[in-house]
Amino acid sequence: MAQAAVHHGEHETSVWPLSTGLAVLFAALALTAHFAWQMPLLGLVLGGGAAALLAVGIGGWAREFFTKGTEEGVGPIAVGAFIASEVIIFGTMFVAFWMGRIVYAEQWSAWIPSNLNLVLALWLTLILWASSGTIIMAERAMERGDRSASLGWIGATFVLGLLFVVLHMNEWAHLAAGGFKLGSSIYATTFYSLTGVHTSHVVIGLLMQIVLFGVVATRLMTPQRVTFFRASSIYWHFVDIMWLMVASNAYLVGGLR
Amino acid sequence: MQEAVAVQTPWFRASFKEWILTTDHKKIAVLYAVTSLVFFAVAGLMGLVIRLELTSPGMQYVSHDFYNYLLTGHGAVLLLWWAIAFWGAFTNFLIPLMIGARDVAFPRLNQLSYWFFFSASILVLITLIPSQHIKMMWTGYPPFSLNDGAGPTVLYVLIIWLVAGSTLGTGVNFITTVLKMRTPGVTLGRMNLMIHGLIGSIVIQLLGVPAFVGAVTMLFLDKYIGTGFFNPAVGGDPVLYQHLFWFYSHPAVYVMILPAFGVFSEVISAMSRKPIFGQKSMMIALWAIAILGFEVWAHHMFTSGMPDWLRIVMSYTTVLIAVPTGIKIFNWVATLHKGAIRFHTPMLFTLGGIFMFLIGGLTGIPLALPSFDIHVHDSAFVVGHFHYVLAMAVTFGAFSGAYFWYPKVTGRMFPEGLGKASFWLMLVGSNIFYFTQMMVGIAGMPRRYADYPAIPEWITLNEIQTVGAFILAAGVVLSFLAWIRGLKGPKADRNPWGSPSLEWTTASPPAPHNFDKFPVEVPEGWSPYHYGKRS
Repeated sequence: MAQAAVHHGEHETSVWPLSTGLAVLFAALALTAHFAWQMPLLGLVLGGGAAALLAVGIGGWAREFFTKGTEEGVGPIAVGAFIASEVIIFGTMFVAFWMGRIVYAEQWSAWIPSNLNLVLALWLTLILWASSGTIIMAERAMERGDRSASLGWIGATFVLGLLFVVLHMNEWAHLAAGGFKLGSSIYATTFYSLTGVHTSHVVIGLLMQIVLFGVVATRLMTPQRVTFFRASSIYWHFVDIMWLMVASNAYLVGGLR
Repeated sequence: MQEAVAVQTPWFRASFKEWILTTDHKKIAVLYAVTSLVFFAVAGLMGLVIRLELTSPGMQYVSHDFYNYLLTGHGAVLLLWWAIAFWGAFTNFLIPLMIGARDVAFPRLNQLSYWFFFSASILVLITLIPSQHIKMMWTGYPPFSLNDGAGPTVLYVLIIWLVAGSTLGTGVNFITTVLKMRTPGVTLGRMNLMIHGLIGSIVIQLLGVPAFVGAVTMLFLDKYIGTGFFNPAVGGDPVLYQHLFWFYSHPAVYVMILPAFGVFSEVISAMSRKPIFGQKSMMIALWAIAILGFEVWAHHMFTSGMPDWLRIVMSYTTVLIAVPTGIKIFNWVATLHKGAIRFHTPMLFTLGGIFMFLIGGLTGIPLALPSFDIHVHDSAFVVGHFHYVLAMAVTFGAFSGAYFWYPKVTGRMFPEGLGKASFWLMLVGSNIFYFTQMMVGIAGMPRRYADYPAIPEWITLNEIQTVGAFILAAGVVLSFLAWIRGLKGPKADRNPWGSPSLEWTTASPPAPHNFDKFPVEVPEGWSPYHYGKRS
């Protein structure tokens, strides 16, 4: 409540949201060019422009955040509200999955691919949960000011997350090669959607870790201003917990005969 | 870009560079308001063309395809750019002022939220190009929306995604702002009902919009990537889309109306010189509507095919919403009782808005009953009903708020005569229009069609509707004139309505830093509705 006193807002203007916003516009136009106008080259150019603007926007934004302004400590609340809406997005995919699972209970077992690897799901779970542990270590190291240890743990988290993505993409290719295609059944559709939406969140988490690595390595972040660290860590834990829901539905409820 | 540049200039002196780079919540509010009003005018004109086409049977002015585009544009733009986004302007302008804060919790995120909205606006402008018309209605139901005849589905999907991005950014920002940045003394229980209305609508959006996003994402995947969500041949179900869509889009009507309830409460209290009657019950009723709103979505789908028990449950929950809304209406009337009422323009719009909401609400109760609804489903009766609520109650609320805070935003007084003339034209025009629309619906006329058989009764009722629509449009034009003329009107002092609410304690227009001293101090036992004894 006393935040009004510490919140000075030295920044009446900032160019970084505009850069990020233009990236959003370019990305939207790129998708339109690709899917509606059948101009894949234009889509590629616009998409590339969007990626460049996004990188510049986020980089500048992070720099400005740490060099100007003050610690507000309100990040975790915002991330909490954001996660609440994310849960609903996942919820829509779960609704689609369960509608199919219940209505087509009798046909369902015919849709289960014979090469579905439940053991891999267990390994993926262990990898992702280990990364939740490493990001906690990274956060604690930063809080006590041990920059190099923190960087090491962020790196470990990133490697584990990347390993998860690579293994999962490999598994998709494997399943698709066995005839379990996107549109072949509602199980396939919801399996790929649930795991795909989840993996896209893992990728966003990885991008956040790159930014995190950058602001810790360049000494922009100090042990007194770790709200951004805490917020990305909360988001990462959410992604890891959500994996339990996704895996237990997509792999276990869906895959056990 | 760093300091001093912007610190002492009020918003209307700002340079172009400052406008596009600003993180000031007041300037961002003006950006939202202007964008919203431009699109309101465009979509209103689309509505007038629809109305002209329907005046008599046969096709006179537009082709069937273009008519479908007009319906889609009219619906999507007026709902998303007007009834939801115009409240974004109020959220941005009022909330930091009403809680005594310097700005929002994340000023840069606030600017980014506007750019999301701006990008969506660009895409809407692209749909104006003839080959890019989207014709799947604002609901975008599959299987039609998966069909190439519906226009580029990806544009529809992207518009929803971008608006959702803007909404979520604004949502997390303002929830954090209200929870963490209130000046000491402004408690959650005491703060303005306007803030409760705006935050209630934000919470609904935060939990509802993702369902809509999920639905259109499935649409995108089905159309372009090859999944089978809505393909019954592989176990999918098009009705899934309707469930997800209405899980957000029914609560969306409360997104639009809760802020209007906030305006009604502020204006009635200020113009009757009385504390709002039953502030706590108003608050509880508002949040009850926000929560109950999520339990009623299937009443849009009584004819779509669903189990009987679901129809019965959704019918009961829908009727239940009449209770908290009834509480609010009784409380407003009780506030008026023995008040020293002043009939300024904002007060007229508020009273008109409550009247329109009452008619819309009362026609909504029979629609909640499946036994009645299946007979009038997809008829003009439903269109008339939701135009009473969404089009008129919301617009009257928005106009009331726009007039009420006009002196605060611009530092000038609007011409009262134009405002009042605008109100009476809008009230008379809209009632002629929408009441006859409900009548022709009861007489059997279906909605959405560009043409209809030459039934004499239908023709008469459609002609009356067109007359009403043009009277309504004339009223809207007068309000636009009043707001433009008002920019050169007499200077307003900081508190023209004599309200104790915090936003009136600072200069008009407020300085970039909002208040002179932080933390803003409020007296012991402060309330935004503390008008005390009548003098």
